[in-house]
Amino acid sequence: MEVGRLPISASQRGKLISAGYTTLSSLSSLSPSVLAREVNVSDTEAAQILKVASHGSRLDGSEGGCATINGAQTAWDMLHEEEMFPRITTSCVDLDNILGGGINCKEVTEIGGVPGIGKTQLGIQLAVNVQIPVDYGGLGGKAIYIDTEGSFMVERALQIAEACIEDMSESDGLLRKDFKACQLKMHPNNILENLFYFRVCSYTEQIALTNYLEKFISEHKDVKIVIVDSVTFHFRQDFDDMALRTRLLSGMALKLMKLAKVFSLAVVLLNQVTNKYTEGSFQLTLALGDSWSHSCTNRVILYWNGNERYAYIDKSPSLRSASAPYSVTSKGIRNSASNCKRIKMM
Amino acid sequence: MTPAPENLLHRPLTTPKCTLGCPLLDRCLAGGFPCNSITELFAESGCGKTQLCLQLALSAQLPVSLGGLSGSSLYIHTEFPFPSRRLHQLSHAFRSTYPAIFKTDPCDSIFVHAVHSADQLLDILPKMESFLSDPKTHLPVKLIVIDSIAALFRSEFENSPVELKRRSSLFFKISGKLKLLAKRFGLAVVVTNQVVDLIVPEGINGMRIGNLACLYSSGRRVCPALGLAWANCVNSRLFLSRNEEVEKEEKGLVDVDANRVCTRTRRRLHVVFAPHLPEGSCELVITREGVFGVE
Repeated sequence: MEVGRLPISASQRGKLISAGYTTLSSLSSLSPSVLAREVNVSDTEAAQILKVASHGSRLDGSEGGCATINGAQTAWDMLHEEEMFPRITTSCVDLDNILGGGINCKEVTEIGGVPGIGKTQLGIQLAVNVQIPVDYGGLGGKAIYIDTEGSFMVERALQIAEACIEDMSESDGLLRKDFKACQLKMHPNNILENLFYFRVCSYTEQIALTNYLEKFISEHKDVKIVIVDSVTFHFRQDFDDMALRTRLLSGMALKLMKLAKVFSLAVVLLNQVTNKYTEGSFQLTLALGDSWSHSCTNRVILYWNGNERYAYIDKSPSLRSASAPYSVTSKGIRNSASNCKRIKMM
Repeated sequence: MTPAPENLLHRPLTTPKCTLGCPLLDRCLAGGFPCNSITELFAESGCGKTQLCLQLALSAQLPVSLGGLSGSSLYIHTEFPFPSRRLHQLSHAFRSTYPAIFKTDPCDSIFVHAVHSADQLLDILPKMESFLSDPKTHLPVKLIVIDSIAALFRSEFENSPVELKRRSSLFFKISGKLKLLAKRFGLAVVVTNQVVDLIVPEGINGMRIGNLACLYSSGRRVCPALGLAWANCVNSRLFLSRNEEVEKEEKGLVDVDANRVCTRTRRRLHVVFAPHLPEGSCELVITREGVFGVE
């Protein structure tokens, strides 16, 4: 049984989830004061949450005791957990639709495309969107951005952050909610502050950082997304021993997958494209070879179609393959302009 | 040492940029060529790549208050000869524009190095690193220009899979090293590239790199040389185009003598892709004094 089904208030539930407490077992060994500090609630509130939680887990036990092995879950629980967990929006409705609502937590999503298609833009957008507060349907989490190529521009991140806050206050005007408290919390500078930026300059640094992430995230439990832009760059230089490269890459992929599962966060890996020689012709595929393609849960390919940018679901265990247009605007990733026109015409 | 995240608020909220010495061109590029990354400038020959690079090497010496980097530059040329007379001409014009700033010849702060092959470029990169950490002049090096990268790679390699693989591995090695230098010393790195004709009009599906719709030069559709692997190695990509345009003004004369149709060269600078810029373009002219944008 997970936290989402506990009879507690929505804001408490949100705080628990964004602090990384998703299952009752994760709460079982905590003292009220520790919980109060970790999720930022009062001591009495924390004590009440723990009481409800322990009651819930006893109930769970009497229902038949699904947790025969510590840490095991039933598929039913997993389904509920997945449904309950919010997804990270891409700010493009069409793209969200084909992704089933956005980028999913606990999964590794690989996004690839030709240079200039908007991989870095999408990366920055996700790093900003993960910070949308729970009240606005977001995760209220923090982001880790690992830059291997040097394409992250701080002015662009600021621009996207400003647009994101603007959009939220607009939607707020429509819903006439009390916005004041959130407005104070969300300032473009706060968004930059909650974006942990790492610049790595070699593949050894990249591997070292991947190994260190587990420790870093356990100290920053509210990190909800890890973006690597790009996973490829340093692995395309200086590798004569391809077997070594494959081993290093799959080791790194396993680490990232583990992070996604343990901390219930989304991992987004940006990848480059390359020409692959098959059956006498060159074809465009994502880089790093065939064995790498097993390393990700989902695979999204970005490509040009006429003068429009499109995204295509190439691989996913739960999504059907589909494509959708998107555009890169001054505000960040948005719906494709021509698509909006079409809707207006109808 | 454990890696620590950089606090984005502790550094300037806009990436430092190197002015081109012209407000219109700077506006098109949101301030100029960005530091800490590689910008590629590609065009067919005679479009003004070298002109722009020479001008950049001069304007990098301007103080930060005027949009420069107050730094000297390292100019690696692979096409011969080095246009030193043109550089002198430009530097003369440049000094008369900013008489208060330049007491000595700005050419003294431009270090020129010739490179003949891709391997040689890779060899001098470590030397460049020691040069950058201990420069011989009063201004630290803030700009590296490689003019052109294409010349190194277009002749030496055969069109076989093994050679092409070696070539792209070299691309990534050179680019990785340049990015490391750019990051460590806060450099703007500019490389120039040549063009090839685009044979298949639309490319193979998904093959297009950037939105190629704008890439017309001399009435032909072109795309940057060195292929997809190299495209992955640069952060921003700029394009200079040149097209002849018929002037309509001398209508009366056209009837008399059909050969006297006046043409005018129109040059444009296009942003093909850049992480911080929207696609856009700016018209420019090349004069005795340098490269300038026009509205």
